[in-house]
Amino acid sequence: MPTHDRPAGGECPPVTVSMEVNERPVDLSLDPRTSLLDALREHLGLTGTKKGCDQGACGACTVHLDGDRMLACLTLAAQVDGRRVTTIEGVPADPTGRLLADAFLRHDAYQCGFCTPGQIVSALGLLAEGRAGSDADLREFMSGNLCRCGAYPNIVAAIREVASAPVPSDEDGA
Amino acid sequence: MTTYVTAPAVDRPTATEPATATPWVGRDLTRVDGPHKIAGRAPYSSDADVPGMLHAALVTSTIAHGRVTDVRAAEALALAGVVDVLTWRNFPRLAPGPEVPLGWPPPPPLQDDGIGFHGQPVAVVLAETLEQAHEAARRVEVDYEEQPARLALDDAEPEPIPWVPDSSRGDTGAAWRSAAARVELEYRTAENVNNPLGLMGALAVWDGDRVDVHDSTQWPTLVRRGIATMFGVPLAGVRVRSPFLGGGFGAGLITWDYKVLAVGAARVTGRPVKLMLTRPQMFTQVGHRPETRQTLRVSAAADGTLTSVEHRALVAGAVERLPLGLVTAATAHGYACPNVTTSDRALRLHRRYSSAMRGPGEHEGNAALEVALDELAEQLAIDPVELRLRNLSTVDPASGLPWSSTALAECLRLGAERFGWGDRDPRPRSMRDGDLLVGWGVAAAAYGGYELPTSVRVTVYPDGSAAVRNAATDIGTGTYTIVGQIAADLLGLAPDQVDVDMGDTEMPPSAQSGGSALAGSVAHALHRAVDRLRDTVAELVATDADSALGGAAADELELVAGGVRMVGSTDIERWSDLLARSGLESLSSEGTVDGSDTSGGTMARAGAFGARFVEVVIDPVIGRLRVRRVVSVNDCGRVLNPLLARSQILGGTVGGIGAALFEDVTVDPDTGRVANGTLADYLVPTHADVPDIDVTFVGDPDRFTPTGVKGVGEVGLIGVAPAIANAVHHATGRRIRHLPIHLEDLLSTPRDRGAT
Repeated sequence: MPTHDRPAGGECPPVTVSMEVNERPVDLSLDPRTSLLDALREHLGLTGTKKGCDQGACGACTVHLDGDRMLACLTLAAQVDGRRVTTIEGVPADPTGRLLADAFLRHDAYQCGFCTPGQIVSALGLLAEGRAGSDADLREFMSGNLCRCGAYPNIVAAIREVASAPVPSDEDGA
Repeated sequence: MTTYVTAPAVDRPTATEPATATPWVGRDLTRVDGPHKIAGRAPYSSDADVPGMLHAALVTSTIAHGRVTDVRAAEALALAGVVDVLTWRNFPRLAPGPEVPLGWPPPPPLQDDGIGFHGQPVAVVLAETLEQAHEAARRVEVDYEEQPARLALDDAEPEPIPWVPDSSRGDTGAAWRSAAARVELEYRTAENVNNPLGLMGALAVWDGDRVDVHDSTQWPTLVRRGIATMFGVPLAGVRVRSPFLGGGFGAGLITWDYKVLAVGAARVTGRPVKLMLTRPQMFTQVGHRPETRQTLRVSAAADGTLTSVEHRALVAGAVERLPLGLVTAATAHGYACPNVTTSDRALRLHRRYSSAMRGPGEHEGNAALEVALDELAEQLAIDPVELRLRNLSTVDPASGLPWSSTALAECLRLGAERFGWGDRDPRPRSMRDGDLLVGWGVAAAAYGGYELPTSVRVTVYPDGSAAVRNAATDIGTGTYTIVGQIAADLLGLAPDQVDVDMGDTEMPPSAQSGGSALAGSVAHALHRAVDRLRDTVAELVATDADSALGGAAADELELVAGGVRMVGSTDIERWSDLLARSGLESLSSEGTVDGSDTSGGTMARAGAFGARFVEVVIDPVIGRLRVRRVVSVNDCGRVLNPLLARSQILGGTVGGIGAALFEDVTVDPDTGRVANGTLADYLVPTHADVPDIDVTFVGDPDRFTPTGVKGVGEVGLIGVAPAIANAVHHATGRRIRHLPIHLEDLLSTPRDRGAT
């Protein structure tokens, strides 16, 4: 087995991270190796964001970082200091997010449900980016989110419905 | 006081007519667990968390065959937060697991120094945090004494698979020799890995001799038995929970090493232990669809009538565990052919344990057969849909008994109509879309029907609400929802008055959520549970002087919203009154099915049938293939919830596209290592690979059970890959006799380009 140069002892002094998660400020003291995904799941109890690969290949951990789609497993928590994170738990605060969640429900756009938070958060980003112009675009720009149950046609139908609907205002719904 | 009144399990006719005028079964209800899933609130095993929990990380072997000579863990143990490193020297000695349907579980892990495959667990590192555990696991050094490994299919002697007997009818050899048309081919299918998106793992918590396991499993009842047997503790104290599972597709049907290691590590350390697999470990620890090499000889008369089929399969297995097989099993039942010979043989190789993957065996065998039929149709200049129609059978060709239901002919005819098959020019390379080659292909599909031992408990309460309990996992098929629909009909309630809970061995034992058998088994057991409930009510009112129902026989009683009444009457005896007079807080009954034939041997139990029509487009210069549309027509018996059943067919179709075009594990021929064990390297279908899919259900409720259900999980996948392969031939003129079909297979040759 090859040996690599590693720091001796494995002692890792904690780092402090301050960020805004779903519009609430949080301060954490973390092992610097902690990914944003593990910080959310293990330290903040926000388990809606899922770990499907931990290698940036499946999209299940998709969150918004300062409004942009980002893979939480490839992001160190320490990199997020001072930044704004939105997870699936923050989606109901967004009017379009509520429409998307409802459309996913009605179109049966999920089966086991494991990729679903990532699909919804990613779709919310896709809509904000204006990349739902055609079904081909929509499929291309959602392709970072794998669904092993194969709910893709229903996911596309749900996103298409929201993309075609009038833009909701913050006053709509809850 | 809550009283469980459990009637003895006696086989008797069951109620078939729902009480309400408009049944809930058959309606497009959205999932009852949907709001949890879309909000990220559904709890999977990876979300389980208890105070004082240790995190575990696996160290796995880097050789395929040999033995461990030393595990050097001093460096790992010196790291902050590391609590222990368990190897075969200090892991508890365990008993072998119990026999299970279709095979044995793998031998218990960490029992000796032997290594039988690359990726076998050799140590478990336990630490206070996830980061510490994984860092420490990387620092464990393992020394091996390596021995030559058998890795290629030709390295092992084929051996029979006990649960897949050879079959033979007629005289295949003589029919072959005298046939008008003959097709002989070798067909290969690659190893596929289930790769459910949810990483599998377990959290184990001991309390004395009791253990509570939060697991990723499709079969809590089986894992409970496995853990109790291996650890030698009473079944009564073993609890396995899996209320939500991040997919499985067959990967969750075995008491895999990881859960045994979590339970053992928790036993040793005296602390709760959570062991989550990594994505690369999902390729090595929880099974896969094994590689096959098949030979097939199919012959027909000039009119396309099949005269012989000889189908033989070699299936890759592990040294310590045979593969499931079942590759040629469906061939004997598929088409009306008088002369059929089939055999499956296993190869014991130094490879990882295989298991089931959606449509296990049937997909691989069906692909070879349906490609061969396409070749036969071409040889005879008969339309491939017509060739199949000419060979359909209304009886099970193996037993001669009539199928309990089959609408395969309608699947083919309606599919052809919806697809527009009549416009197909049969000549290869004849259809174009600009510079793209267009190909249309068809294949038929079948998946056997069966029930498995399952119990369901129904409880009614004085307020009119009801509860249904069963230990099965809803793997994402919608079991929670359909159970509520069925129960609502049988109890005369609305689904929101029925509380359905599942996925916990504290509930009545169940079949697995796999093999398309769960919906039918649970539905039938639920029917029986409600029958028992009616029996129990009859017993109660017989001795209840104040009851207006006194003296009524069970079949004269009808369960309706709020209570019970005589059939045809409008006077309802309320549950609240009935229970109060008997001193009961609730009334429960349990229904059980054992999978036995209740038809009296009058019919062959049918499973689902289907037909797939596919259009592909291929860029002949660069070999790029796209599936442009799919029409999938299926006979699944009674469809409990069309919205959810359609999703199952969509998922199966996507799985079939993966098997046809992408999924291919590369096992390093020298080391046995999985060389592409990540979701970046092992390709699966993405959004961009999946077109519109037209799904239709045909056929009637099956006659074999009162539920009419045939199962919908597997059939959607079966037949998709050969339909794509046949479309590729139509587009390019090339017969590709392996799966998946790679881009390299489609690159044009200079001759192709000259012809274009």
